[in-house]
Amino acid sequence: MTIPSEPRSASAFSTPLDVLLDRVEKDMQDDLVPAEIFHSEEVFRAEMERIFTNTWVFVAHESELPKAGDFVQRKIGLDPVIVSRDGKGGINVLSNYCRHRGTQVCQTDAGNSRFFTCPYHGWTYANDGTLVGTPLMHRAYGERVDPDLWSLKRAATVESRNGFVFASLSEDVPPLEEWLGGAGWMLDLITNLAPGGMRVAGPPERYTVNGDWKTAGENFAGDVYHLPTLHKSIEDVELIEGLQGTCEIGRTYEFENGHTFIGHAWTEAIGPFFTHWGYGAIPGYVENFDLSGLDETQRFVAEHEPPTVGTIFPNLSFIRIFSPLPDGPPGVFTSFRQWQPVAPGKLELWNWQFVWDFQDEESAQRDYVGGQYCFGSAGVYEQDDTVAWEGVQRAAASPWMRKEGMKFNYQQGQNSPVDQAPDPDWQGPGVHRKTGYGEHVQFNFLRQWLRTMKGQTTPRTAGTSTTDGGMA
Amino acid sequence: MTATADPGTTSAVDASTYTVVVQFLAHEARLLDEGREGEWLELLEDDLLYTVPSRQSTEPRSDEVNRAAWRIRDTKAHVRTRIARQNTGRAYSEVPPSRTLRLVGSVEVVPTSETDVVAAHSSLLLYRQRGIDVHFDLIPCRRNDRIRLTAAGPRLLAREVILTETSLKTANLGVFL
Ligand code: FES
Ligand SMILES: [Fe+2]
Repeated sequence: MTIPSEPRSASAFSTPLDVLLDRVEKDMQDDLVPAEIFHSEEVFRAEMERIFTNTWVFVAHESELPKAGDFVQRKIGLDPVIVSRDGKGGINVLSNYCRHRGTQVCQTDAGNSRFFTCPYHGWTYANDGTLVGTPLMHRAYGERVDPDLWSLKRAATVESRNGFVFASLSEDVPPLEEWLGGAGWMLDLITNLAPGGMRVAGPPERYTVNGDWKTAGENFAGDVYHLPTLHKSIEDVELIEGLQGTCEIGRTYEFENGHTFIGHAWTEAIGPFFTHWGYGAIPGYVENFDLSGLDETQRFVAEHEPPTVGTIFPNLSFIRIFSPLPDGPPGVFTSFRQWQPVAPGKLELWNWQFVWDFQDEESAQRDYVGGQYCFGSAGVYEQDDTVAWEGVQRAAASPWMRKEGMKFNYQQGQNSPVDQAPDPDWQGPGVHRKTGYGEHVQFNFLRQWLRTMKGQTTPRTAGTSTTDGGMA
Repeated sequence: MTATADPGTTSAVDASTYTVVVQFLAHEARLLDEGREGEWLELLEDDLLYTVPSRQSTEPRSDEVNRAAWRIRDTKAHVRTRIARQNTGRAYSEVPPSRTLRLVGSVEVVPTSETDVVAAHSSLLLYRQRGIDVHFDLIPCRRNDRIRLTAAGPRLLAREVILTETSLKTANLGVFL
């Protein structure tokens, strides 16, 4: 049982953290954000307790676990978890800490196994987490050690949407569908364009980024303002053009619970042939699309103003871009990525390329490799992004800047002549703006961060049943 | 030279071929350490394939390297564009370029079924200090190369880089391995 969380607010008994959060709230009213939230021991610890063990977190895509016994090792915040497909086809999200003394029972990143045997004393768990064996049982314990009490800990609730498996370590969360809200609607038009949807092209690549997970999250929520500067080199080598206009043709999609996407009006900017992220300009894709399951607004968005990047709070992001390639026809590449918090100011980037289920091996490989060429540890775009983020957390940890009470400037929209008002004719969920100016998207993400840190999020709807630790 | 099915069972090349190949590996390492990527590019065959496959912790160990999954799978055109991008002076992760030192060792050179191509296995320890970083990165890896011996000298035909790490500690692969 979880005690319903009381909204936290600074009082006579306030901790320095509560005081900081109140300051963040106040500063955000002026479109400012205190720098220190991007590198602070206290903030980080609270994020682990209040966010990562308390909300839906992406753990795997079902295409990573096609067969019974398949498993991958993942992270929920700082916790290693095993995501497994059991013999009945269910997906389990299990703590990777042995119940006897805590040793990690799974020492690999991925594999196929019916059992996980702890290397320390040999307690053995089935791949659904059930304790099935304890060495020398009769002499050591005299009776069977009760699996109802001593099986691997299971995530409180697990659900999936379009193959994306999410788990929550708290049962006090709304159903996934409700939590995702508009982001689920967006996920549909991103991955359900063709029967069979999308699958991972390969295992995630991982690397350390000396940046805070929120910096990555807010960048992918829709920082298109950085493109003409940080990524100018891409234009110089003619892998993209027109970066200067990126904010002009930007289209925001701001949903509840901090989920945020930003797109571009490609058909307007490039031409009527450039539909569906540019898929319309390459043979072999649109022919396989079937958008009949989407609503009218989804179809319009997918065709004309599709999301380029997005972040599902807290730490799952997405990017889909069209790019020419140095050695052949252009492609449209899709990557989902997770910003795993490691320490204050430090994250591990997990990057998955996605391809369509209908693609043959050759076509899938081309998109996989092309995607990596743009976004990944060797990506010609991403190399520059991740190092730019290093400075954010360094400034946040700076003794001088702490003394100055440094605040970051999110005031871009305040005096801009550009109309940033929500689109009054918008028929889809959430708020839609027809410009990339204004830094509204970053704020939508950070506001959710603040609400969650202050315990102001909506608890689970009464009477909603959630599956305990597994998903059939 | 005799062909060998398993390059692991060393049927070594003659001493002069070995010297030529080791000299080549040392030379390209120096070109890259000295920021002479343009000259290095000249040493790549037009049908070059440069790959960094995925590596994960698995059991059995033989599953660790997945040759159908990549961080990088570059043709020469990809490499040329990477170098052109760095030469724009706006590839910010490498402005200024990392100071690097490539230590190449444990070189084995074995014949292949093609008479003018040898396989070279080497280890590489790349020291990298990026920008104004106070720390340094080490990128350890093994390389499985195929090198064509041409009249103009050795040329790199294929390079497979097996990273020692499953999760990279360096900021990116903005340096050639
Ligand atoms: S710690 Fe796992 S069996 Fe003892
Ligand atoms: Fe970027």
